[in-house]
Amino acid sequence: MLTSMTKTDFQKPKTVEEAVTLLKEAGDDARPISGGATLVALMNARLVQPSRLVSLSAIDELTQCTYQSDGSVRIGAMRRHRQTAFESNLKAAHQVVSGAASQIANPPVRNMGTIGGSISFADPAADYPPSLVAANAEIEIAGPEGRRRIPAEEFFLGWYETALEPGEIVTAVILPPVSESSVGQYEKLCRIAGDFALASVAVTIDFNASNTVTSLRLAVGGCGGGPIRVEAAEQALIGTKLELDAVVDAAELVVAELDPIDDVRGSAEYRLKVVPRLLQRAFNNLVETREPAQ
Amino acid sequence: MDGIDMQGVGSSPHRLEIMEKVTGSAEYIADLSRPNMLHAAITQSTVAHAKILGYDISDAMAVPGVVCVLTGEDFPDGRMGAFIKDEHAIAKDKIRYFGEPVAVVAAETEAIAREAAKRVIVKYEELPAILSPEEGLAEGAAIIHEDLDSYIKVFPAISSGNMASYTELNEGDLEAGFAEADLVVEGTYDTAPQAHLAIEPCGALADIDKQGRVTLWSANQSVFRVQANVCESLMMPMGKLRCLTPRVGGGFGNKMEPHIQPLVVRMTQATKRPVKMILNREEDFECVRARHPFKVRCKTGVKKDGTITAREVEVLLDCGAFGDDSPGVLGYSLLMSLGPYRIPNSKASGKLVYTNKLRFGAFRGFGNPQVAFAGETQLDQIAEKLGMDPLDLRQKNLIQPGDVWFGGGQVASNGLQECVDKARAASDWDNRKSRTAPKGKRRGTGVALSAHISGLLGTGAIIRVFEDGSVALNTGAVDIGQGSDTVLSQMCAEALKIPLEKVSLASPDTDGSPYNWGTTASRVTYTTGRAVVGAAAEVEKQLKEHAAQMLECSEMDLELRPGGIVGVSGSDKEVSFHQISLRAHWAAGGPIVGHHTWVFNQPTIDPKRAVCSGIPFPQVGVFSFGCLIVDTLTDEASGKTEVAEAWSAVDVGKAINPSSVEGQIVGGFVQGMGFALTEEMVWDGPKLANPTLLDYKVPTTLDTPYNIHSIIVEAAEPDGPFGAKGAGEIGLVAVPAAIANAIADAIGGHVHSLPMKPEKVLNKMLEIEDAT
Ligand SMILES: Cc1cc2nc3c(=O)[nH]c(=O)nc-3n(C[C@H](O)[C@H](O)[C@H](O)COP(=O)(O)OP(=O)(O)OC[C@H]3O[C@@H](n4cnc5c(N)ncnc54)[C@H](O)[C@@H]3O)c2cc1C
Repeated sequence: MLTSMTKTDFQKPKTVEEAVTLLKEAGDDARPISGGATLVALMNARLVQPSRLVSLSAIDELTQCTYQSDGSVRIGAMRRHRQTAFESNLKAAHQVVSGAASQIANPPVRNMGTIGGSISFADPAADYPPSLVAANAEIEIAGPEGRRRIPAEEFFLGWYETALEPGEIVTAVILPPVSESSVGQYEKLCRIAGDFALASVAVTIDFNASNTVTSLRLAVGGCGGGPIRVEAAEQALIGTKLELDAVVDAAELVVAELDPIDDVRGSAEYRLKVVPRLLQRAFNNLVETREPAQ
Repeated sequence: MDGIDMQGVGSSPHRLEIMEKVTGSAEYIADLSRPNMLHAAITQSTVAHAKILGYDISDAMAVPGVVCVLTGEDFPDGRMGAFIKDEHAIAKDKIRYFGEPVAVVAAETEAIAREAAKRVIVKYEELPAILSPEEGLAEGAAIIHEDLDSYIKVFPAISSGNMASYTELNEGDLEAGFAEADLVVEGTYDTAPQAHLAIEPCGALADIDKQGRVTLWSANQSVFRVQANVCESLMMPMGKLRCLTPRVGGGFGNKMEPHIQPLVVRMTQATKRPVKMILNREEDFECVRARHPFKVRCKTGVKKDGTITAREVEVLLDCGAFGDDSPGVLGYSLLMSLGPYRIPNSKASGKLVYTNKLRFGAFRGFGNPQVAFAGETQLDQIAEKLGMDPLDLRQKNLIQPGDVWFGGGQVASNGLQECVDKARAASDWDNRKSRTAPKGKRRGTGVALSAHISGLLGTGAIIRVFEDGSVALNTGAVDIGQGSDTVLSQMCAEALKIPLEKVSLASPDTDGSPYNWGTTASRVTYTTGRAVVGAAAEVEKQLKEHAAQMLECSEMDLELRPGGIVGVSGSDKEVSFHQISLRAHWAAGGPIVGHHTWVFNQPTIDPKRAVCSGIPFPQVGVFSFGCLIVDTLTDEASGKTEVAEAWSAVDVGKAINPSSVEGQIVGGFVQGMGFALTEEMVWDGPKLANPTLLDYKVPTTLDTPYNIHSIIVEAAEPDGPFGAKGAGEIGLVAVPAAIANAIADAIGGHVHSLPMKPEKVLNKMLEIEDAT
């Protein structure tokens, strides 16, 4: 049959359970649709032709962002990038996530796209994945077997692949509690405003009273199939005051773990050169915002 | 009529078609349809260079809804080409680039046509693909056009093997010039292919009548070039094709020569039904045309005091698979390669080489931005070595009023000095070093000067006076969004002293419009404007003949009065155009129609002064000038550069519509900024790797400086209409060079390659750091 004549069935359930059932019924060719910013473009280009679209937009719980009593923040999968960019519940180190959201694409795409759609699509150059890894987020997933939660690091398997099983959907992103002294920073390099990242770095740090780093997570985007976290570099920086030498040494450890390719956005060689510089800038900015007097 | 705003020359009325554009009701080619219309789609080649052994169209024909499939075998053997007639309407016998149309499918819907087009099978025998000019010139290289020698060429072409054209210009004594110099600087510079990216992709719709005469609507920059190209390639008598135009959504050179028009015409002939085809963005990228990548070797000699004694420029151009406008781009770039300076001893030469890539062709600037990038950055390198201010070095060598151009062509008006003075003052150039940069950025300021022509070839205008005394203007010039409809109407209104609303403009039509070579070469305001002024003078003469009889006076005593009135000087006796026109229509003399046609005929080369060969056009145009200063910020971490502010002073002779001129200056700046910083078509082997807006990046509003100051300079062109000359391209020409100079000011060295993307700038910064 002609692809252009394929009919797509459209459903708009009210609950997660209904959505999961509708997807299961229709089998492999069914797809959830959230913002549609990516999926509709794929359909227009005839790269995918779903037999059924299950819109998640009418499911109340997915549209909420809540601050929970334990200090964690639960971002519903349907939260738009623009909402997350301006989210008042995101403070201290969580700002690595709002920072990433605010740098996605352009205002129309930020009004449309959702955090659930973005991480499910798992573009290797997308902005949320490194920020969620740096924020030590957990992804909540619902499927025929019920709900489960996995760390962001285990969710992104690389090159558009995720830990989602067939029929599963992302329902929320959960950010763990953070201390007030913590900070988060997302640095993105792109060719023009609104482009996907050529490379990006996400960092979260906590300090003690004497400005010594007590905890630190960092992840790099756009330099491989998914976000790349470098624990050796994190360890090397914990216990320092982010002195220049320490940062330069840690950046070298990061570069050793990157796996970039040449593409139209930039060469692999350039990515290897620029990531340490972006890291340095991110650390500099963080140190400076903490100590404006310097 | 005192106090009435006539909206004539020097005012900025709204575009005539503004309401339909802002309300989205303007009709572009994709909006048109005809009863019983078919939709067509192309099959594109999947190899770059091959012999075609045969086709299998059975799968495509079997798709329900498909009406007709045409391949190269179904097309006549005619060849078209602006300079070298080397191109069939569709690939015939041979494939010459990846993505070249090899078959056309017509079906009841576009989706069916596109689906069926994927099912056309072409059997190829692959040949080695030539993917760079160097490969094309190498000994033993596969030949792309075996019959090049026998092709018709419209200029004294020097061509052989894969070399489509060689051009050379010489003036003075080059060796002596370099011997005289205290300092000689030499460098090579390269530029990347840029896509035109008109917001509207190419499209066409053709219909055939009972006598076999075809009417063709298309996205175009000249209905007359469309007619000529289709008729040449399909071997049709010109009278069998009528070309019309809907609104056009931008061109920049992309729509000047043919795209898919011959394909839809052939399809309507084959099916006897209306046929429409609209390219999608990828197809528009892959099989229309793009700006030439240049390799430029530039060598300049100067004395210690900054006086330039000699320059030698050598260019190598990738032609792509077909000649198209390339020989013109080569010749024109060489003509402009000295910039607006007095350089007594010079040589400019270049080769244009066929490759198995998309044809390269006309693009706003026509080769001039590429050579300006080389020449103007080299001047800054010289200034640095001499310890001179870059603007002072230029000032010392400026072409002066009365000087001729490289090759000996006359330069009548010259507002360059005023451009330099005004840009220098407005940008506070002399205090530029006191401007600071935000943390993590380096600020730079750069300057570049430019010259460009407006002119070329034939043009006409017809003005008819309606019975009610208003007038119809018909020129055949296609307004591609730049505003020529409004500007030509303003000139007509001004010449006849009537309000703008009394001028109605005919849409271009090869049946009824006088000839217009095209909307290109910054020419419409200047050349068509002259035709309008000439036709208006003819109308004025006829009006006065009538008025003299009606008022019983001598024609000599008559004058035009504002509002469509002819009166007797010094008296209140007068008649209106309305009264005159009624008499002309019903009583005496016949309807009033004035017309004027002309062809630009001022020689480019003075053989007593210059020794030249392979010159593609002997008569180019009159000169516009510009001085551009930009302020940039380069990010220290990444090398990414943004333009913070720009001051663009441009000599346009006379701004007929000042806000349209500003639009051209600002638009040219932004398009030049994309060329300078981000835009680059990239090939992965034989295949274009980034034919989408996801991968090919043009600057957005957020990447564009808020302040692009347009400074209009008016050095009247003596024979220009109301003194006007072109403004369409000059604002782009200097942009890459000025930005390159600003970046060099910021980081301490020049990037010699466009686009100056972050990677190249960072590498340069690191190279400089390592050296110090
Ligand atoms: C012009 C443009 C520029 C862009 N630039 C950027 C950028 O700079 N950075 C960036 O990070 N992103 C960018 N994006 C992507 C953008 O963020 C998308 O919005 C996002 O990737 C997808 O979100 P969505 O809600 O629109 O998902 P949809 O388009 O609705 O869906 C995307 C895919 O995910 C699946 N899906 C959707 N929701 C779920 C769910 N809850 N659970 C499981 N699967 C689901 C769909 O079936 C589909 O396969 C850009 C997109 C566009 C169109």
